[in-house]
Amino acid sequence: MMSLIDKLLERRARAAAQTASRRGMLKTLGGVLVGASTVPLLPVARAEGGAARPVEEGSDTDCDYWRYCAIDGFLCSCCGGSANTCPPGTEMSPVTWIGTCHNPADGRNYVISYNDCCGKSTCGACLCQRDEGDRPPYRPDKTNDINWCLGTASAAYHCSTAVVVGVAFEE
Amino acid sequence: MLALSVMTSWSLAEAEINEPRAKYHYQMFCQGCHTPDGSGVNAVPPLKGMMGVFLRSQRGREFMVQVPGSATSKLKDAQLAEVLNWCIENFAGSSLINGEYRPYTADEVGRLRQSPLQEIDHTRAAVLAEIARLPETGEI
Repeated sequence: MMSLIDKLLERRARAAAQTASRRGMLKTLGGVLVGASTVPLLPVARAEGGAARPVEEGSDTDCDYWRYCAIDGFLCSCCGGSANTCPPGTEMSPVTWIGTCHNPADGRNYVISYNDCCGKSTCGACLCQRDEGDRPPYRPDKTNDINWCLGTASAAYHCSTAVVVGVAFEE
Repeated sequence: MLALSVMTSWSLAEAEINEPRAKYHYQMFCQGCHTPDGSGVNAVPPLKGMMGVFLRSQRGREFMVQVPGSATSKLKDAQLAEVLNWCIENFAGSSLINGEYRPYTADEVGRLRQSPLQEIDHTRAAVLAEIARLPETGEI
């Protein structure tokens, strides 16, 4: 009985070895694995399409950098932080003013949150004042003339970030 | 019976929300203070887990339109109604009774915002006290 099974399996194995190469199996398996890894990404990538992924050009230590269109303050990029992050020893204010900037690199308008970094005295480097879209203090949610260190442990202003939080909706 | 059925379908009406537009308006006119997830911070009250509480009374429903951030924003009536409904759907969570609410309409918002509140903190406390005294019935 066992020899019968042995013969049967041997015949099948030889037949398989004659018609399929090991590289062929690797190729097929590799194709399946790569295909399987990309398929689940497709809907996720589309979902991410709503998130802000601007094409970046220019230096974030320069007042002319596209995200700083409405900034009034010291650039955190020049103070040990970046356009997105606060320098060490400071705290990002959760309360902020928000506007839009046009990105010439991709032609889209983005929603920018000018979160201030607080808790240390003014940085003093890279003072920029562009004020595009800035409104007087009687529209407090759209003015950069007030200290936005609100909701932080300290109200001492250090520098400003310019975080991309979304894409502007165009009617 | 007919009236009951009309009321039921009215209360279950679904808000027509353009998601990217509503989110954009939230970001531009609300998020700066109420924070991205509606939690608020310090003196900025939370939307998260609270909007459904305010919807339990007529005064609470009106309050959310008459606060200055809503009433005096530059959003048009339809846009304000849409962003309020978007906030309810995204932030109210379990504060909604049975997960349902009656959406704001442009007409309702347009009428209410003609009377923006002057004493916000006082009104808010009074509205919440009134709601706390209500039996657990349902949203108005």
